[in-house]
Amino acid sequence: MRDTVMEYETAKVLKLAREGKRVDGRALDEVRKISIETGMSENAEGSTIVTIGKTKIIAGLKIDIGKPYPDNQDEGSISIGAETLPLAHPDYESGRPSAQEVELARVVDRGLRESKAIDFKKLCITVGEAVWVGFLDFYALNGDGNLFDAGSIAALVTFNNAKLPKLDKEGKIILHEYNGTLKLARQPLLTTFAKVGGKIMVDPTYLEEKASEARYSAATTDDGFISAMQKGVGGSFTLEEVDYMIDKSFEIGDRIRKQIKQVK
Amino acid sequence: MDRKIDYKKTKKRLDGRKMDETRPLSIKTGVIENADGSAYLEWGQNKIYAAVYGPREVLPKHTANPLKSVIKVEYRMTSFSVPQRKRPGPNRRDQEISKVLGEALSRAVFVEQFPNTEIGVYVEVVDANAGSRVACLTAASVALADAGMPMRDMVAATGVGKAYGELVIDLNKDEEDAPDAVDIPIAILPNSEEIVLLQMDGLLTRKEWDAVAKLGIKGCKQVYEVQKKALVNKFELSEAKGKGQATKTVKKKAVKKTVKKVKK
Amino acid sequence: MKKVVIPGEILFEERKRLGSNVFVSEGKIYSKVLGITDNENETATVVPLQGPYVPRRDDSVVGVITRENFAGYGVNINSFNECFIPKSAMRTPLTLGDVIIAKVSNVSELKEADLTFPKRMGDGEVISVNPVRSPRLIGKNGSMLDILSQGTDCEVFIGKNGRLWARNGDLELLKKTVKFIEENSYKSNLTNAVESLLRK
Repeated sequence: MRDTVMEYETAKVLKLAREGKRVDGRALDEVRKISIETGMSENAEGSTIVTIGKTKIIAGLKIDIGKPYPDNQDEGSISIGAETLPLAHPDYESGRPSAQEVELARVVDRGLRESKAIDFKKLCITVGEAVWVGFLDFYALNGDGNLFDAGSIAALVTFNNAKLPKLDKEGKIILHEYNGTLKLARQPLLTTFAKVGGKIMVDPTYLEEKASEARYSAATTDDGFISAMQKGVGGSFTLEEVDYMIDKSFEIGDRIRKQIKQVK
Repeated sequence: MDRKIDYKKTKKRLDGRKMDETRPLSIKTGVIENADGSAYLEWGQNKIYAAVYGPREVLPKHTANPLKSVIKVEYRMTSFSVPQRKRPGPNRRDQEISKVLGEALSRAVFVEQFPNTEIGVYVEVVDANAGSRVACLTAASVALADAGMPMRDMVAATGVGKAYGELVIDLNKDEEDAPDAVDIPIAILPNSEEIVLLQMDGLLTRKEWDAVAKLGIKGCKQVYEVQKKALVNKFELSEAKGKGQATKTVKKKAVKKTVKKVKK
Repeated sequence: MKKVVIPGEILFEERKRLGSNVFVSEGKIYSKVLGITDNENETATVVPLQGPYVPRRDDSVVGVITRENFAGYGVNINSFNECFIPKSAMRTPLTLGDVIIAKVSNVSELKEADLTFPKRMGDGEVISVNPVRSPRLIGKNGSMLDILSQGTDCEVFIGKNGRLWARNGDLELLKKTVKFIEENSYKSNLTNAVESLLRK
């Protein structure tokens, strides 16, 4: 049974933050323990479960044949969706995607898409006729903050391990048979920070997010690029703070990329 | 499937099972920390998360029932849980299943004990292969018990029916596609054998119904045993061990194991 | 002998005095919840292993102020409904997030509790536990509470609603010990195990 009285708990978070401390004892620049598991959904062309601390999400990829857009006749496409299931937290509601869910999906998408990690031309089957269209959807299973970074890790690992369906002679998909993988050109990852009580802390928990006055995420790649940024919630950051967060994003991103390499 | 399959001839099912054999079923409790009760269930290829939140305040307040708690079930599937991607958002099938699942559970829970509240039951299918609704009901019942909800009995569910000429238990997807397929999800309260869920698609004779109903009830009771184990196994009625005492017993166990090996 | 039982599990086939969390059907006694029962007990009763806090008259509870209007304060006592304390009941005003202890004076049919003798607690920490396991934290006549406060030098107040309030002393040791009691509440030899944890 969990018992959180939001007002009381967030007051605790703020009080500690002003002293540079966090409820779980982490340093301001410390990320929670991350675990990654793949391949549990057999109907998906790729699936991953990521936990960051107590946050747990599941991502899955479905790849289908679609028609290319008229101005990109030789390119396939990907689309990323996110849902904070009411399963995962007493405050999550069901129904149409909330503004938070839409932002979550779009920021994770941005980090991946803008990094040009996936060559959409490689997703072409027949120019002007048939291309691969990938839908990656991730769902919160237990919500304790920072669904952005969890979603980003899950999306990257899922795409890394994605299997392209095999086609029969007529160009139709053969269920449960695969032929080839996507080879990503680079490994983009989001790192998210919250400003709480004036202090910047990485990988916020649910309560830290509730107590925060501003949020910032940066997507960095293994070859030194920044591929996306998003400032969220109200509040503001100074340029020094943004520079600090970008530096930390590269540092933390590299560490997580190392962990991802070891996942089979 | 064009091949003429006849179970009366093969005496075995497509996946090697006997007519009255269910697919492997395993259940774990306490898997979603934020929830008041939860369960993770695998039944054949089906993989399901169930979480219970409540009893809690109903909003809007005027929809609350002053005499009892209202059980609200949400049955959903992730987009990647099925071979053809499922578009996000509940469809009519999801809504119907949510309704019948809620009705089945409300017969089991002592809802009069918590007037003016609701009990939220969320089930999410992350991989599916026939029988997801009975798997969800089985998981939801375990999650309710895990949450400490008072119930007159567990709700144990299974699928029965007919495929390829024989009456079978727990049809898989291939069997659901048989030309003579009959699919009957059924759920009971094991003590009284009261049926709380019963649906049917297909054609059966009266005699076939008698046989299949018996098979279904027997199958539900087997499911009940798995539910019971999942709930009970977490609690070892041993002695509490404080500092220094735990290590002693661990060492003892290790020694016993090696001795056994040598003897062999 | 003690046994873990699940909802609907049969306890006795004959008549017996009825305790809590059991029901009778066709002359047989069954458990309502996931819990522990002892068949050597004179009364057929089940101690739940999980469950919400249902307020009862005379319960002492630890509450948190969540709302304020012109008439009084909304108090969260970790149950299905919020309680209300009129401003006239407090000598000094309360603010959002304040912790109070109070006694449940009356519970309505809708399980709404009335609180009396509210007292504001100063700076301290609220520790949450599974409410159905909190009786073990208090112990017979407060015996476990004594062991906890003496062993940690903390000022401790334990509510029946799955919340403790504590300050001073070794709060980290207290939290660790409370978690241990919560996880092992249904096991025997608990008092000895707890004492060994607290021995420095």
